[in-house]
Amino acid sequence: MNAVISFESLTKKYGKHIAVENFSANIYAGKITGFLGPNGAGKSSALRCLVGLSAPTSGKAKIFGKPYRELDHPLNRVGTVLDNRGFHPALTGRQNLKIIAASADIQNSRIDQVLDLVELTASQNIRMKKYSLGMKQRLALAGAILGEPEILILDEPANGLDPAGIAWLRKFLKEMAQSGKTILVSSHQLAEMQNTVDQVLIINKGKLTAQGTMAEVIGQDTLENAFLKLTSEQQ
Amino acid sequence: MKLLKSEWLKLIYVRSHWGLLVAATFVSVLSVVVTPFIIENDMGLLGLSLDQTAAIDATYANAISGYIFSLILGIMLITGEFRHGTAVATFLVAPKRVSVIGAKLTIAAIGGIAIMLVSTALAMVCGYIVLQFFDYATAASEYLFLNTFLVATISGIVLAVIGLALGTLVRNQVFAIVGALVYLFVIDPLLLTLLPNAGKYFPSGLITAMLSIDVNAPELGIDTSVLLSPLLATLILLGYGFIFATVAIATSLRRDVD
Repeated sequence: MNAVISFESLTKKYGKHIAVENFSANIYAGKITGFLGPNGAGKSSALRCLVGLSAPTSGKAKIFGKPYRELDHPLNRVGTVLDNRGFHPALTGRQNLKIIAASADIQNSRIDQVLDLVELTASQNIRMKKYSLGMKQRLALAGAILGEPEILILDEPANGLDPAGIAWLRKFLKEMAQSGKTILVSSHQLAEMQNTVDQVLIINKGKLTAQGTMAEVIGQDTLENAFLKLTSEQQ
Repeated sequence: MKLLKSEWLKLIYVRSHWGLLVAATFVSVLSVVVTPFIIENDMGLLGLSLDQTAAIDATYANAISGYIFSLILGIMLITGEFRHGTAVATFLVAPKRVSVIGAKLTIAAIGGIAIMLVSTALAMVCGYIVLQFFDYATAASEYLFLNTFLVATISGIVLAVIGLALGTLVRNQVFAIVGALVYLFVIDPLLLTLLPNAGKYFPSGLITAMLSIDVNAPELGIDTSVLLSPLLATLILLGYGFIFATVAIATSLRRDVD
């Protein structure tokens, strides 16, 4: 299989605190990979190193065989949602997307398309500070798919969403997967993940605990039980 | 060009940036409008009268009083990104940080110029109107207007660049702005008054020197004769801009984006 994302002995330290330690894993093309771990396990730190926002202390994180910062037209290769704070609260949803689109030479017609896709067309001219959490998440997803990327990296996209929001996100992820995109998604919604992802990475205390297909990782158990067993073994 | 367009949209979409333009214009107009009255009622402290060219020049030179807002604009352009978390989106879309900071420096400079030219021009118009009420007021010196607009442009560029660099170092918007205000309104004037030989090398002294005005009021701690020549002051101020731009780029390369 073709690995499009690779972590190679990645270590990230903040002062004396080791957030990620010697983490190696591969993410394969066309699959949905769930990146799971307890709070503070190192998921966000690993993803931040992957997309060039944080510098690894040692090791490497690559996308298409290159560090993110060396990708040409990154918005057209990788769409990322790290949190819902990526947009200016005093600007409208559309203005926020126009700023992103301008930096990648993306046409206004594509902004209309993604707003329609995330069902925000009617709210596009409302200032973002008036958006609900679900609307902010959808706007973040709109920003991520603006450049029609091959890979989506989503850090806790379901955080704070109500059941309707989670159902919408599930549908969105399935549509993205059906269109052939590679998706790396971190989440705490284990039951949701069990029904959505093909591959699983479990990280605990900065170290890789398990990696494989859903069947390989959970066996006959549920993802939640397998997760609790794997993460408690390291306590 | 793509990054410049993106940064330009950030500059014009955020309302508080327009607020800075309004505030700079208000301060500049107020400074120019009250100066003739101060000159006429200072009981000789400034040693000036409106029938002297130096007094008229000093009045119009106050039109650049809004330069603090160029500095604040530079600070806000970068600290706003960290305050609202938009830095993440900015550096995800354009991970080559030198290019992003280069675009931000360019847009900060353009914004700084816009603030200074608009506020200076409106303040001069208001100054002209107010001086009509003093029938003995003389004319300004020949190159006063050209020189003042040149100073407005250069100070607008350099202070916005310094503000942006300051914002990359001190990412907390409130701390950065308060620090800049304390420096420009307290430390810089104190240096210029108490230690003029050192103070003349710092921004306020340099900008005043560039205006090439002639005021000697020892009772008020003002003596423009101790300042550097306009050319040397301009070169040093541009040097500050270059050093701070380099600091901004170096800092952005080194630090993680939160």
